[in-house]
Amino acid sequence: MTEGRSPLFVATVALLYFFLLAPIVIIILAAFNAGEYLKFPPEGFSLRWFGEFARSGPFVRAFWFSLQLAAATTVLSTLLGGMAAFYVVRHASRFRDLLRLLVVSPLQLPAILTGIALLIFFYSTGLGTRGMRALLLGHTLVCLPYVFLTISTVLVGFDRSLEEAARSLGASPFTTFRRVTLPLIKGGVISGALFAFITSFDQFPISLLLVSVGNTTLPLQLFDYLRFSFDPTAAAVSTVSVLMSVGIVVLIHKLVGLESIAWGGPR
Amino acid sequence: MASIRLHDLTKRFGRVVAVNRLRLEIQEGELVTLLGPSGCGKTTTLRIIGGFEHPDGGDVFFADRAVTRLPPEKRNTGIVFQNYALFPHLTVNENVAFGLEVRGVSRPEIARRVGAILDKVQLSGLGGRYVHQLSGGQQQRTALARALVISPQVLLLDEPLANLDAKLREEMRFYIRHLQQEFGITTVYVTHDQAEAMVLADRIVVMRDGVLQQVGAPHEIYQRPQTAWVADFIGLSNFLRGTVVNRQNGQVSVRTPMGTFDAIGTGTHGPVLMVLRPESLHFQGAGANRLRGIVRERAFLGNLLDYRVECGPDCVLRVQADPSRVYQPGEQVDLTFAPSDAWVVPDQDERA
Amino acid sequence: MRRSWLILPVLLFLAVLLVVPYINMVRMSFLVKPPGAPFINEFTLANYARVFTDGFYWMILRNTFWYAILTTFLTLVLGYPLAYAIARAPNRRRPLLLMLLIAPLLVGVVIRSYGWLILLGRVGLVNEMLRYFGRQPAELMYNEIGMIIGLVHIFMPFMALSIAGALQNISPDVERAARSLGASPWKTFWRITWPLSLPGVFAGILLVFVLAVSSYVIPILLGGNNVLVIPMLVVQLLLDAFNWPLGSALAMVFFGLTAMLLWAYVKIMNRALRWSLR
Repeated sequence: MTEGRSPLFVATVALLYFFLLAPIVIIILAAFNAGEYLKFPPEGFSLRWFGEFARSGPFVRAFWFSLQLAAATTVLSTLLGGMAAFYVVRHASRFRDLLRLLVVSPLQLPAILTGIALLIFFYSTGLGTRGMRALLLGHTLVCLPYVFLTISTVLVGFDRSLEEAARSLGASPFTTFRRVTLPLIKGGVISGALFAFITSFDQFPISLLLVSVGNTTLPLQLFDYLRFSFDPTAAAVSTVSVLMSVGIVVLIHKLVGLESIAWGGPR
Repeated sequence: MASIRLHDLTKRFGRVVAVNRLRLEIQEGELVTLLGPSGCGKTTTLRIIGGFEHPDGGDVFFADRAVTRLPPEKRNTGIVFQNYALFPHLTVNENVAFGLEVRGVSRPEIARRVGAILDKVQLSGLGGRYVHQLSGGQQQRTALARALVISPQVLLLDEPLANLDAKLREEMRFYIRHLQQEFGITTVYVTHDQAEAMVLADRIVVMRDGVLQQVGAPHEIYQRPQTAWVADFIGLSNFLRGTVVNRQNGQVSVRTPMGTFDAIGTGTHGPVLMVLRPESLHFQGAGANRLRGIVRERAFLGNLLDYRVECGPDCVLRVQADPSRVYQPGEQVDLTFAPSDAWVVPDQDERA
Repeated sequence: MRRSWLILPVLLFLAVLLVVPYINMVRMSFLVKPPGAPFINEFTLANYARVFTDGFYWMILRNTFWYAILTTFLTLVLGYPLAYAIARAPNRRRPLLLMLLIAPLLVGVVIRSYGWLILLGRVGLVNEMLRYFGRQPAELMYNEIGMIIGLVHIFMPFMALSIAGALQNISPDVERAARSLGASPWKTFWRITWPLSLPGVFAGILLVFVLAVSSYVIPILLGGNNVLVIPMLVVQLLLDAFNWPLGSALAMVFFGLTAMLLWAYVKIMNRALRWSLR
C-alpha cells in the first residue's frame, strides 16, 4: 500500500512505545546506577546493587522459592493443560465450548477473588493451609489456561493426516504420538510451559493471600521491601526478573511465532 | 469512458523489478487481459492503474490525462478484487450505494441507481442481505454492481473469477464480457487462466518477470506467438529444433534431425524452434511435411484422443485427434501438418 | 466418552479448586461473624444488609467502577493507534513491534509499578529533573493520577492486542475498494476500518474493564493511602479485620454488579455487531 505513514502517526506510536517501555527501562538504568537514588543527572555505572542483591538473604531466599514454585507449577499446569487441550480440540463434541470456557475461566475471574475463595476454602476445610502446597495449587489454577490456550492453538493447526500416515505405516497410537505428534507440537508445548513459568514467577494476588510466613515469593518480597525502602537493590532484583521475561518472549517467538499467540496465526 | 496509456511504467520491490518499462495503450471500450504466471507483474500493473502503488518510473494516462500522482479516490475507477472485498458490515444495497454516497449523490438518486444496477446483475430482492448471506456467485455480482454503479472511466478486474467453482466460472466469463460490452467500458482484466483470457479479451497482454512479452488478439497470441516462451505458456506446443535453410515470401524451410519441413515465420535467422500445436498434426494427411513415428501412449479426453508419438531420438510429439479412428500404442504412424500450421520462432529464449 | 481420561484430571482439579471454593465463598457470605473467630456456621442476611445500606461501600463501589471505566477509555484511545501500527506494519517489522508490546505484559506488576515510582515518585526522576531546573515537584504518585497511569500502562497491551487481531482480519483490499469508490483515507477509516474493527474494540473493552475493576496491586502500590477500591477493601476485611462473612458478602455484591454490567454491555454490543454473526 502506498498509504504512507504520516509523521504524526509515527511520532504517536513511538511515544506510546516509550510510555510502554519507560518504566521497565528505567529499572534497568537504576540497577546499574551508582547512587542511592536515580538522580538527574545520573551518577555513573556500577554493579554494586547486584552485589547487594546477592548478599541479601530475604531476596535470594524469595528468588529461589519463586523459581521452585514456578518450576513445579509449570510441570503440573503443562500436564493438566496439555491433556485438556488434546481432549477439547480432538475429542470433545457436544461440550466443547463449555469445556473451553471452564478451563479458561481462571483467567476471566478476578485473581484476587480467586485467591480469597481459595484462602477461605483451604482454611475452612483444613485441606491444606497456607504454604508451598497451597501456592502450587493456586498458581496452577491461574497458569493452566495459558498452557491450554497455547497448546490448543498448535493443535487446531495440526494436520491430522500426518498421524494417519504414521498409523497406516504401522505405528501404534503411542508411537505415533511420540514420533510424529509430539515433535511437531513441541514448540507450542514449550511455549505454553514458558508462559506458565513466567506467569507463576510474577504472580502476585494469589500469592499474597496464600503465602505463609517465612516462605515468601519474589514479587511479594519486592512489594514488602518497596513499602519501606527505595534503594536500588530492588532494581537489581527486578532487572534479573525483567531479563528472564524478555528471554522468554524471544524464546516463544522463536518457537511458535508471536503472531500465532497474539491472534491465532498470521494471515 | 477513457482510453488508458501506460508509459514506461516501472515498479521495484527491493531488488525485484515487478514491472519493467511497460508500455501499453488500451482503446476506449476495449477489454484487455493481463496474462502471465504468478509474479509476472500483472497484479502490480493493475494496482498502479488503480492508484494503490506508485510507479518508480513512468506514467499512467486516462484519456491523455496523467493520473500517476492521483490517489485512488480521485481516479474514478471501478475495481473488482479476487476476494471481492465487499464490506462485511454493510448490506448489498449499502455496499453498492457506498461509492455514490461518498460522491454526495442525493438519496432518491442513489436508490434509483442502486435498484437499476442490482436489476442488471440479477440481484434485485437481495439488497437487504449481508455479504455472508450471499453465495459466491452473488458476492461476485455484488462486487461488479458496486464497481459499475459509479460509472467509472475504467474497470479493473483482478482475477475476479478465481474463487468460483469451475462451472460458474465459465458462465461468468460470458456474463462479464456481456456486461462490459453493454456498458462499453474500458476494462483491464488480470488473470493467470489462459482460457479465461481467450474467451474474454479483445487483446491479450502476455507478461513475464515484469516484462511485456506480446500483445495481440487471442488468435494471434495462440497462432503467432513471438517467442518460444509465449508459445509454451499459451496452450500445448510441440517444438522441433532446427535451422532455416531457405526463405521465400514469408515461407521458410527448416532443417531438423527429422527432415526438412516447410513452415511460416518472418525475420528469423539461424537456429529456430518450429511450433506445432497438437491439433495441427494429422494422421495420414496429405502434403510434403511428413514425419514417421510410433505411438507410445494414448489417453482418452472425451472429445479427443491424446497421443504421444515418438518420431526420433529425443522427439516425442503430442497429437490430439478425433476419436473416429483409434491408433494402438506400438502402431507405426505417419504424421503430417500444413506449412501454415508450423510457426517458426527464434531459438534463443528458454521455454515456460 | 472417548479418551475421557484426558479431561477428567482437569475437571476434578477445577471442581475442587475453583467451583467449590467459589460456592464456599457464597456460603461464607451468609454466615455470622462472632468476635474472636473469622466465622461460625450460622445463617444470617446481616452481611448483605450492611453492604447494601452502608453508604461508604456504595461510594467505594462507585469509585471503583469509575476508575475502571476511565482506565478502559484511556487504553482504548492509546491502544488503537498501537494496534493499527502493528496490524499494518510490514511483515518483517511486525514481530518486533509485537515483541515490544508483549514483553511488558510478562514483566510482573510489582516491578512495573516500581518503575513508575522511580520515574514519577516524590524523589523520582521526573521530580529530580524539575528540582534541577528549579521547579516545584509534582505529586504524580500515591494518588488517583498515579494509579490511573499504572492501570493504563498495564492494560494497554491487552486492548492493543485485541484490536490488532480484528484489524488483522480486515483485508487491505476492502480498504482499497473503498478508496477506488471515491472515499478519502479519512472517510475510509471511519466508514470501513473502524466499524470492521469494532469486534476487537468491544472485546478489548470487556477484557480491560474486567481486569481493571478487579485490580488490586496497582491501586495499593501507586494509589498509596489516598485511593480505596473494592478489592483493597475486601482484602482488608479478610486479612486485617478477619471478618470473612462480610468480606465475602462485599465480594459477592461487587462480583454480581460487575456481571450485570457486563451482561448488559454484551447485549448491546451483540446488537451493534449483527453483521458479524454468522
